[in-house]
Amino acid sequence: MDTARRSTKRLSTAKELAQVVAAYYLECHQARVEGRPIGWMPPMNGGIEIFYAMGLQPVFPENWSPVCAAFGLTPANFEVSEGMGYSRDLCGYLRNITGYVHGDMNGPSVPLSGLPVPDMIMSFGGGCIPAMKIFHILENRFPEAKVFRADIPQVAVEDIRDHHVDYAVSEMHRFIEFLERTTNRRLDPEKLHEAVALSDEACGLWDEIMSFRRFRPTPISAAEIGIMFVMVTRQGTKTAVDFLTRVRDEVAERAASGIGVIGEEKIRLFWDNIPLWYNMGLFNYFEKAGGVMVAETYSAAWSLRLDTSDPIRALALKSLMSYSLVSCLSIDRRREMVLKACREYGIDGAVFHQNKSCVPITLGQADIRRALADEMGIPSIVIDADHMDSRNFSMAQFQTRADAFMEMLLEKKGA
Amino acid sequence: MKTRFPMVPFRELLLNRRRVLEETAARGTKIVGYFCTYTPIEVIHACGMLPVRIWGGSGQAEKAYNLVPTFICPYMRLVMEKALGGEFTFLSGIVQGYTCDVACGVVNVWKGNIPGELYHSLPLPYNDSPESRAFLKAGLDETIEKLTAIGGVYSEESLGRSNELYGKIRGMLAALYERRMQGALELCAADLNVVMQAFFTIPPELFLSMLERLTGDLSAAVPGVRTGVPVLVSGGIVEDEGVMTLVEDLGFSVVADDLCTGLRAFIPVSGPDASPMDRLIARTMMRFPCPSRSRPPQRIPLLMDLVRTSGAKGVIFLLQKFCTPHLADHPMVARALRDAGIPSILIEMDGDNGLEGQAVTRLETFAGMLEA
Repeated sequence: MDTARRSTKRLSTAKELAQVVAAYYLECHQARVEGRPIGWMPPMNGGIEIFYAMGLQPVFPENWSPVCAAFGLTPANFEVSEGMGYSRDLCGYLRNITGYVHGDMNGPSVPLSGLPVPDMIMSFGGGCIPAMKIFHILENRFPEAKVFRADIPQVAVEDIRDHHVDYAVSEMHRFIEFLERTTNRRLDPEKLHEAVALSDEACGLWDEIMSFRRFRPTPISAAEIGIMFVMVTRQGTKTAVDFLTRVRDEVAERAASGIGVIGEEKIRLFWDNIPLWYNMGLFNYFEKAGGVMVAETYSAAWSLRLDTSDPIRALALKSLMSYSLVSCLSIDRRREMVLKACREYGIDGAVFHQNKSCVPITLGQADIRRALADEMGIPSIVIDADHMDSRNFSMAQFQTRADAFMEMLLEKKGA
Repeated sequence: MKTRFPMVPFRELLLNRRRVLEETAARGTKIVGYFCTYTPIEVIHACGMLPVRIWGGSGQAEKAYNLVPTFICPYMRLVMEKALGGEFTFLSGIVQGYTCDVACGVVNVWKGNIPGELYHSLPLPYNDSPESRAFLKAGLDETIEKLTAIGGVYSEESLGRSNELYGKIRGMLAALYERRMQGALELCAADLNVVMQAFFTIPPELFLSMLERLTGDLSAAVPGVRTGVPVLVSGGIVEDEGVMTLVEDLGFSVVADDLCTGLRAFIPVSGPDASPMDRLIARTMMRFPCPSRSRPPQRIPLLMDLVRTSGAKGVIFLLQKFCTPHLADHPMVARALRDAGIPSILIEMDGDNGLEGQAVTRLETFAGMLEA
């Protein structure tokens, strides 16, 4: 088995994803033709709903990295960035996008025509340091782009107080002023309300889809996690709601009919940390022994219900909470989330991806593993890998650990 | 290691710091640890507590790897190792200004594994505006609230006194650095490193008296003629004075630095005249920028200015391995230096025991290049 392999998907709606992805990137390029200003921004913040409400085109360079991994572009991008002096110890997202923007961005070999050059960059203080540094590099690479320097407090979810929210709200207002001034467009409060309502609806659908994971056999596994694409790039649009509605309907039907992911589901597994974007097939690896990767942590950050009665405040809260939910800012909350998910989904064993490209998610895993074992008797393994750089992943080592783990779980369960 | 007479008290104190701090805690003074100089030590001190920068030191990490991955900086690995080994039982808790992801994560890992009363990460604004200053003030108020909840006693007057005290210390440290730039300081880079570490570790009142004595002794000394190729050392935390000794033994003379354990800890020395809280806020906003909180274009001109003012012929980047903020900025900063005709070299410190052979060879080559 190679270090790079695509996942096997069972949902027909998940198989539609390729069209959804292509349509999004086509829209990004059409924006240039149609005169819609293009802004590059980090994911997991309330800027996306404001962009869509104003008829602007959001582009997510961080999200481009998994696309590059899926198309096998990362080695070439790494070569460029490492040639510029960027250390291999830096996050793979940073090295990939840096290499991409300094290489042949829109060349004939780049799938989906690549990313359109930004008119604006939403560069921020907040989130993780690599994500922040990516935007500092982009500011330097695209000096013509208008830059908005956002500031989002890095605070644990459980520690959020009024002053954090007030500051985030003031940043949202400043952002809107920047967009109105830069693009000569006005934000229509009605359209913002509509975008926030659609975003909330998408989150509701997402939660509903995830809730079907409690079924035995589970009708959906982590191998279908690519559907998250709409939660990253299409929040605040009907496209996301329509797609997720179709996914929800299909998953519900499979659950009602008792259709699982594999023939006989013996072991239910949980994945912690970002997937290996260049080897999503890893999620299917356990299936030969009757194991299904029922759930994972990373998707939780994309599901935050929004209070539509106060859209700006809702978006400020979303911006404050998203990163915190999946990072070491809030290990207590992450531990609670993992334990809750494992309880609800009836998990037998957990796989902790010790991710060289993501320290903020990796830090705290030891505490979460211990809590799983002590409080719920759920065993786990650690695999050393990297969500972007396949050079930091050994398939042979993974197989050895995974096989032994499955053997132990099957024996424990008497399956 | 040759220890010059005025340095003896500093070195002795560092050798005995754990015992000194345990005795301090036993006498009833609460000690609060921190990792990064963006932590508002003035408010900790103003609450009647002693802020102490937690040290990683040297050695091997073993137990730490049960809790943290291998790919975090050696400083944080060793801090965790020592914490698990009982080195910091004198601490009542940790307060940390948010600067890097690892420090924030380690505070939370600490919370789950090392007993204490307070674990607090203070989010700091990245922009400077009336709104961000108000936000910082609210964050400092929250920090004070948490410190008083574990027994601290705070008043605005006490913050004023803490500002004064730390301002005086920082002013004296800045004066020492200024003398070094002028070639009129007898102390070597390792000596200054030791002075800085003492600053982070011991009660500021005691440190001030030691610093005054040191400055007095140095005043009487005839300035020595500096030898070696003048360089500026830039990077994060350099705790091992031996690294500085090695650099100077290789033929360099460190005339300036941009280190977390150096200049960035005391520039600016104070905020402008205002209420004690506003003064502290202003100083925080005006800090000599760390890569974790700034963009390269903000830092590059300041760094170049330091190079020119100090007469450095080149820059040695001494970075902790895996330090994302510094590593991410390095290519852009190094390129700007190169374009300005200032050579630089990057050395990553990963070993638990100073610099490795390959780094030494590269530094020797760099020295030769600068001398040519």
